[in-house]
Amino acid sequence: MIANGAVADAPTSREEAWRYTPVAEIVARTGAVTAAMRAIATSVSRSVVDRLTGSHAGPRLVFVNGFYEAELSDHHDLPSGLWCGLAGAHHPPAVALAAETNNVRDIGGLFANNRTDGHDVAVVIADDGLRFDEPVHIVHVAVPDHRVARTSVISHPRTIIDVGKGSHLAVVETYCGLDGPTVTDTSTTIRIADRAELDHCRIQVESSAATHVGHTRVEQRESSRLRMTSITIGADIARNAIDVHLDEPDAHTELIGVNMTTGHQRHDTVVTVDHAASRCVSTQRFAGVVDDHGRGSFSGEIIVRPFTVATDAHQSNRNLVLDPNAEADTRPWLRILADDVRCTHGATVGRLDDDALFYLRSRGIALAAARTMLIDAFIRDITDAIAHESVRAHVAALVAATATGATANDTEERS
Amino acid sequence: MLHIANLHASVAGRTILDGVDLDIPTGEVHAIMGPNGSGKTTLSNVLTGREGYDVSGTVVFDGIDLLTLSPEDRAVAGVFLAFQHPVEIPGVGNMYFLRAAVNAVRSHRGLPELGAVEFLGLAKEHMARLEMDPAFLGRSVNAGFSGGEKKRNEILQMSMLEPRLAILDETDSGLDIDALRIVAQGIERLRRPDRSMLIITHHPRLLDDVCPDRVHVLSGGRIVRSGGHELAHELEAEGYGSTQVAVPA
Repeated sequence: MIANGAVADAPTSREEAWRYTPVAEIVARTGAVTAAMRAIATSVSRSVVDRLTGSHAGPRLVFVNGFYEAELSDHHDLPSGLWCGLAGAHHPPAVALAAETNNVRDIGGLFANNRTDGHDVAVVIADDGLRFDEPVHIVHVAVPDHRVARTSVISHPRTIIDVGKGSHLAVVETYCGLDGPTVTDTSTTIRIADRAELDHCRIQVESSAATHVGHTRVEQRESSRLRMTSITIGADIARNAIDVHLDEPDAHTELIGVNMTTGHQRHDTVVTVDHAASRCVSTQRFAGVVDDHGRGSFSGEIIVRPFTVATDAHQSNRNLVLDPNAEADTRPWLRILADDVRCTHGATVGRLDDDALFYLRSRGIALAAARTMLIDAFIRDITDAIAHESVRAHVAALVAATATGATANDTEERS
Repeated sequence: MLHIANLHASVAGRTILDGVDLDIPTGEVHAIMGPNGSGKTTLSNVLTGREGYDVSGTVVFDGIDLLTLSPEDRAVAGVFLAFQHPVEIPGVGNMYFLRAAVNAVRSHRGLPELGAVEFLGLAKEHMARLEMDPAFLGRSVNAGFSGGEKKRNEILQMSMLEPRLAILDETDSGLDIDALRIVAQGIERLRRPDRSMLIITHHPRLLDDVCPDRVHVLSGGRIVRSGGHELAHELEAEGYGSTQVAVPA
């Protein structure tokens, strides 16, 4: 029998989209795993989840190693038109969505196991015309099994979000975990119908021994809008892939993100925006902060299909390198197959501004605090883009704690 | 208060300060004038701990060997530099920055840190005197400020941090007449028997408003002439020509 988690059709780093990712290491780790079991979930309590994710208004679905935990979840008393639950619950639209998104071809290689080995599937459905401002929070906690030392527990979280015509929805996905070796292979599929709007925030703060391979696929219909903020702080090796398909005209998408590495962390962000219809507008705005021996990469692809018109596509990637041993890689990848296109892209890699650092210190602010201020300032426009206040405050605290090198449990005051 | 003896500074082997000797007694205001490239800005950088210089000599401030301290330790000990070119720091709020600075200095002096509300009240008081719009507090540090606004922001920081030694590096440069008046009044107001100031300037204009106790001419990395405040006007009439010395190779 193939070991649970073994990858039949793994990608290699020769493939463009996997160029910066330590694929061999990931494949090795996914091969040496033990399947998640519900039994090891008992160490997770409500207060642990609150500590790891912040406590926000709105419904919450909590999964531990891919298993739904009713005790930790809270998604009752929802307004009519909003449904949150599991694909297997006897809710025909949820079952249908799960079947529709079962196509392994769309996710490929490493992610195929998400479909074959995954357990509970989170489903969020906003009916046509719904307007719901509180974020729906989907939390995945990766918990190692200390009975099997040095063997990772693997889980395959899967989330489906369906935003009906003309509706407005906010979703937060948090990937967090307890200390110890875990492998998380996630898949999120999102469909945003005509004139609908989704505000989405993805926060990855897994433990320092974790491996995280994430894939988010978005399909946007006519005149829909997406704003997605992606915060990558945790895990030892993390890859965050976002594919947005602008399938119908006049769709807008804004992808914003930051990754922060320290120690020997590896973070790869791989974004594709596919303009398959006319008059769509896309923005990619990503920032990286690499410290110590960390490595961060950003690959941003823009595809503009033939016969589309009036495409507006923008991409920027800024990187702050805090240590001579750290590395930031950035790669724009534009495939423009139409003529009527406005496309811009830019990338920077720089250090902390010595003049600014001296200015702050000359006013009595200690070196460490001055560095934190400047790191915080570098990514402030990314974190400020998070619409929901308590989520924004939670992320700001995570980022500030990471910038000070403190543990994520301490919060740093910001103006 | 400040005793500088035989201060040398070089960058990449090039000598910029070549044996500066200067004493500023407590409560006195001294001005340093000098041609471009004479080492004025280097002197202020070296006194405040900017990295990148090879420094030797003696700088004693209130009995402390200043050259061994980090920039932040010099600041909390009471040394303040008003920058010739205040740095723009987008993303760092002016109020957040100012409060962090004020509280760093306060905690060094054994005073309780100021809360947000107390700080805001104090800042508004100081800003009113400098005719600054309180909206400045909500902006990023110096980002998008006009030249005059940046200089006023320096004076605001100086008045809030209450230094024992204030070094003003060409604070008057680039100011129009109104801004110059406000800055000069700000400096004059901060003159106290227990506070010394070192004003670095090109123009005697500021020295009409802020009457210094002593004027020094820095040239070729050394103090080549010292006198009362009338020296400023002599220099205006005669230029630096007679005082310049060659920089040694």
